[in-house]
Amino acid sequence: MVFVNKFARWTFFTAIILYVLIPMLAVLVYSFSTRWTSNILPDGYTLSHWGDSFRDERLRAALWRTLWMAGAVLIFDILLVVPAVYWQRVRNPRIRIFTELLAAIPFALPFIVIAFGILRIVGTSAPTVLFEIADVLPGFLGDRLVSIGNWLPTMLGTPWIILFGHAAIAFPFLYWAVDGSMAAANIGRLNEAAQMCGATPIQILRLVVLPNIGAGLAAGGMLVFATSFGEFALVQILAGARFENISLYSLDLLNNTTSQVEKLAVLTIVTFAILFAISIGVVYLNRGQGSRLLPGARAMGGEK
Amino acid sequence: MAKAVPTPTGAGITEEKLSSSRFRLGRWVREGLAAWLPALPLLIVAGAFLLLPTIQIVYQSVHNSELGWTLQFWKDTFQSNGGRKSILTSIRLGLISATIALFIGAPLAWLISRMLTAKRSVWLALMNVSANFGGIGLAFSYVAALGTYGMVTLAFKDIGINFTPPQVGTLASLILAYSYSNVPLFVLLTLPAMSILRTDWMEAAEVAAASRFQFWRYVGLPILAPFFIAGWLLIFTWSLGIYGLAYALGANASAAGQLRLITLYIGLFLNTSAGREERAAVMAALLLGMAAVSLILYRLILRWALRWFS
Repeated sequence: MVFVNKFARWTFFTAIILYVLIPMLAVLVYSFSTRWTSNILPDGYTLSHWGDSFRDERLRAALWRTLWMAGAVLIFDILLVVPAVYWQRVRNPRIRIFTELLAAIPFALPFIVIAFGILRIVGTSAPTVLFEIADVLPGFLGDRLVSIGNWLPTMLGTPWIILFGHAAIAFPFLYWAVDGSMAAANIGRLNEAAQMCGATPIQILRLVVLPNIGAGLAAGGMLVFATSFGEFALVQILAGARFENISLYSLDLLNNTTSQVEKLAVLTIVTFAILFAISIGVVYLNRGQGSRLLPGARAMGGEK
Repeated sequence: MAKAVPTPTGAGITEEKLSSSRFRLGRWVREGLAAWLPALPLLIVAGAFLLLPTIQIVYQSVHNSELGWTLQFWKDTFQSNGGRKSILTSIRLGLISATIALFIGAPLAWLISRMLTAKRSVWLALMNVSANFGGIGLAFSYVAALGTYGMVTLAFKDIGINFTPPQVGTLASLILAYSYSNVPLFVLLTLPAMSILRTDWMEAAEVAAASRFQFWRYVGLPILAPFFIAGWLLIFTWSLGIYGLAYALGANASAAGQLRLITLYIGLFLNTSAGREERAAVMAALLLGMAAVSLILYRLILRWALRWFS
């Protein structure tokens, strides 16, 4: 009985390890193989795909675009989220009603639906509404609205729309992390103490709040970065080929060119390595904090 | 103590100043700004790029310029063969994929939670590996492992076993690929909850001569069930909305009419204008409705799950 139990468990574990590792292994071997169409292992090995891939202008440009966009989204989200969370904790708790509702949207709603909505809002709905208001409002104000309405659709296909879209879908990660670490640091008390000493809100934010939420900021920030880095739906729908990031380039390699599979293998490994490093960082930063039971639930330790 | 804390606004205002209505309006605006200003950028960006698109989708599914307010698009979608098929296939895919995640992930999460620290970190790293591998990269690795010239396919050929894995673009291939990240996600979601079930309770049950089955039937599962159900619900909801992976594996099959999914219908419509705007809007609104329902259910389940800890 014990033997059978042990055997069953061993089989279960081995099957899962194989299931996880074999696809990755296949991609890795692909990136080093010369020709691979007949046997379990390739006919020969080479390092040339790695060199070729990194000399490929298009790949480098896509990787660079993806990286700077993720960095820009991260900075933008920090600027948006930290003041809002600080203010809802120390000054106006009613803000929370709205932030929590907004944070729930990308958590549950598929990004392809959000992309569809943004496309129609920016492309048609918002301009239409603006033109209608401009009809009623004569003069300078109306003219301004008309020019905004004409300008909005031109934003589609530019990095700007991706920056705003990604900032919106990724903000909940930073929001939850920052909110949690502000609770753990007891920001309310610290704020009172700082106010008594005559500090201005900006000073408090810079000298009291930020140093105390470092871990949350880093963990949430990494998730924001990773979200933008691996995102596909918004980039495909809102920008397409005009902002080719690594997801779009990968899809193109997968669909169109059979001769460049090895390049795709290299790109897949690089992408994966970056995302995996980020996730290890998040796990490392979250150690020691009360474990979150499920996303959206409050941490077990710490708060209350 | 602390009686001399100055209030930020409204200090030093005299009665006659307050009586002026113009001043009152100014004060109202100023206080409103002071209460909301630091949060306004976030509320505006998230409102414009999350809330407005949501409203837009719902609006578009029940309104257009010719017909005005109408439920016609919903009726059309459900009556059309393709629409019904897309919806049913998506739901079936979500159900199967979430159930696989539950049946493999739940025992795995339990076993991992009882491991010693070193072994557990190795398993956590492994789970993180596959949870982070998704989208186009995962689609490619499916081809690299199980495609016509995939590693596994070739391996079976080498041994002499005639085995053809599910072809790219079939429902089975999507289920396999979805499960690759769903199972570890389920483990990572439910792992923290496993520590709730204390080893003492197992020992207590054992002392009371309960069999292992009895322990799980009367103690273990009743406590963990809500967490498992919540995890299942999240995986189900997320599976319905998976797009990048589905597009990479199934776009061709979908364009050829062999595979129908809600997300693929929307994606193909937006990319190639195949299909109809209203129908895409209805399907998007349907995803939205299901997401909203499962979010509410998730909150309720979570409250039920945490009933021991309040």
